[in-house]
Amino acid sequence: ENSPAPLPERAIYGFALFLGSWFGFMLYLIWAYVPETWLFSLGLTYWPQKYWAVALPVYLLVAIGIGYILLFGINMMSTAPLNSTHTITDNYAKKQQQKKFQEEAIPALRDIPINEVNRMFFLPEK
Amino acid sequence: SLSAATSAVWLAAYGLFVLSQNSMVLSAAIFITLIGLIIYLHFVKIDQESLLVIGSLGIQVTSSYASGKESTTFIEMSRVKDVVINEAIHMQKVIYYLCILLRDPGDPQGVSEVVPLFQSSKPRLDCLIEVYKSCQEILEQRKTAPQSS
Repeated sequence: ENSPAPLPERAIYGFALFLGSWFGFMLYLIWAYVPETWLFSLGLTYWPQKYWAVALPVYLLVAIGIGYILLFGINMMSTAPLNSTHTITDNYAKKQQQKKFQEEAIPALRDIPINEVNRMFFLPEK
Repeated sequence: SLSAATSAVWLAAYGLFVLSQNSMVLSAAIFITLIGLIIYLHFVKIDQESLLVIGSLGIQVTSSYASGKESTTFIEMSRVKDVVINEAIHMQKVIYYLCILLRDPGDPQGVSEVVPLFQSSKPRLDCLIEVYKSCQEILEQRKTAPQSS
């Protein structure tokens, strides 16, 4: 079953991820800062150009910044315009079936059409 | 807004004039602003919007622009299902707007189209409720009216 409780397996996964991320970070620092000649003298020659040690974080940050603007734009584009029927109804409401009215029972839940809602809100006079 | 656009165009023209020392830039900017103002008044700026509901005939929507041009749209009563106040999201706000629901020929309960009204004056809810009540009074009479022979 699924429970959010801390289990021994989860503690081990967490620690493995912690060690892995520390190792990855140290590897990145070594690659970015240690001069190429020292790495060559150790025999490690097949590493990517150090240009990428600066380029990749910049790419990532610019992508995150553009992502904010992109998400805002996508939201605005998918908002239904004022003259579309999506502001009033949708497929589920069109296909809903009328349930039989039972005496002394709470009426079944359904999507009430907009003209009835308007009548209830705006028409009755005090 | 109009004054912001005019000021921006004139400041840019003055900047160009200072750079190029050519006074044609200033005359061109004034000319462009004049033409732009005329286009704006004739095609964009709506002075008045009105709604005429005749129970047996239909609904007529008139917009009159600042230059005097009037554009009207007429919708026959047989196409009109109802006039309602709808809420929708518009430019990071939720607004109330009056709209005409048109009947769907294939589906008696369905709505084929929504025609929003008063799009440039966008009155507030208390004003919309008054208009809604008047429209509903007229629309109810068409149900009790005699059927067309």
